[in-house]
Amino acid sequence: MYSVNPEHAIGIVGGLLALPMALIALRMHPRWRSVPGTVRAAAVLMAVSGGVHLALIPHHLATEPVTSLLFLLNGLAFIALAATFTWRYWRLASAGLLISTVLAYLVYVGIGFEGPDQVGLATKLVEVTALGLALVPVRGEAGRTHRSWRWATLGVAMPMLLVITGATVWIVDLTRPDPRHVHAGALLQATSTVATPAQVDAANRLYAATKTAILPYEDWHQAWAAGYRPGGSTTLPSSHWMNQRYVEAGYVMDPERPQGLVYANTHHGPVLLGAMFQMKSLNRFGPDPGGPMTAWHQHENICFTPVGFEFSLMTPYATCPIGAIDISAPPMLHVWIVDNPRGGPFAVDIDSSVVAAMDRS
Amino acid sequence: MEKAMPTSRPEAVFVLLLLQSIFWIVAGISALPFALGGEVHMIGLGLATLLVAVLVCLVAIGVLWRRRWARRTALGLEIVCLAGSALQLALPIGANHAPVTLLTNVVVPAAVIWLLWGRMTRSVFS
Repeated sequence: MYSVNPEHAIGIVGGLLALPMALIALRMHPRWRSVPGTVRAAAVLMAVSGGVHLALIPHHLATEPVTSLLFLLNGLAFIALAATFTWRYWRLASAGLLISTVLAYLVYVGIGFEGPDQVGLATKLVEVTALGLALVPVRGEAGRTHRSWRWATLGVAMPMLLVITGATVWIVDLTRPDPRHVHAGALLQATSTVATPAQVDAANRLYAATKTAILPYEDWHQAWAAGYRPGGSTTLPSSHWMNQRYVEAGYVMDPERPQGLVYANTHHGPVLLGAMFQMKSLNRFGPDPGGPMTAWHQHENICFTPVGFEFSLMTPYATCPIGAIDISAPPMLHVWIVDNPRGGPFAVDIDSSVVAAMDRS
Repeated sequence: MEKAMPTSRPEAVFVLLLLQSIFWIVAGISALPFALGGEVHMIGLGLATLLVAVLVCLVAIGVLWRRRWARRTALGLEIVCLAGSALQLALPIGANHAPVTLLTNVVVPAAVIWLLWGRMTRSVFS
């Protein structure tokens, strides 16, 4: 959802090429100056969307001929409407085409024909903006302006389309992540698919060494004395305790000096769950001696707020709540020293039922 | 030669501010489930975001009605947004640089500023 599908990147090129072409071509229209600027802007944006759709045809032609045909019809319809902005039924036709195109995309994403990506989302934003500009009544318009139905359609369609698009794309992205995206925005390190016997042994050695090294920290006072400090709210089921000295030193997967410890916040105090190794820089994954067993992960597109050191997820529209900023955390690898039935000792996350059971005990 | 239309810049700005307001409504609502998960400060941030979304909607209506205060508020808001976005994109914090980010956080505020800037546009606001 937050990245450009390489196969769709050509769509951006198509849209960017269509923008100056539409601006030049439409300016030559004899009645260009006789319509409101909002109509002109909507026509240009529809031409951009047409350019995106037409550019996507070659990639889909071999594998999805029906989709290619729909892209062709859609692209041509957008360009035709962009050129006929003085037509009597232009607004009605444009609104119908824009709304049906956005809804068709959502159906495609919903049933899994397309994965949600930045090209699709950006194009839908352009189309919803074009819809708003096509419909918004302008002061001083001549003739029958049908202001009431235009206001009603604008007031209902724009918010509805944006909310439904955002919700659909988000739900699909969270429920059907691609193989390298897990745990709501965490990007997994690329590894082999099956661990070799040597990698299994290496993973076991790393686990044993880490567990032995951090066992003293079962007493959280010792962790405190060693320089680990809790981050974030202790009302959450678990907290990461970070050692800033180790973070800044940049030790790489050193079992004696893990950058973080993870504690369950139980009613009888912090209970040690495991360790966390963290790299110093973004996009630089650490060594993975256990292959797929010890794949690192990097949290991307998270909204971080210094107010209480809390996190939420960036929306599909790339916005965060006021007071939070979009950040990514450098790659990390967890080693869970408690039984983690759902993911194992190096999983991205600890099983929530394990933490809940600790709290109840 | 056909008569040129009066400016429709306030209406275009209304559409863009409405768009921005909806983005913030979605951001505000998205913070609330995290508050249920124990991140108590997210309640405040989520509600503050929803409040800003409502204010932006009111500013959009003010711009549509050609109110001078609305133009000034919108300009101020978008300059702050643009500066914040530029900072976020420039700092090495791993912020997203994808097309949607650029559209919502750079292109929309820049377009609003461009549409409202200048003496000609200012003259249509009372």
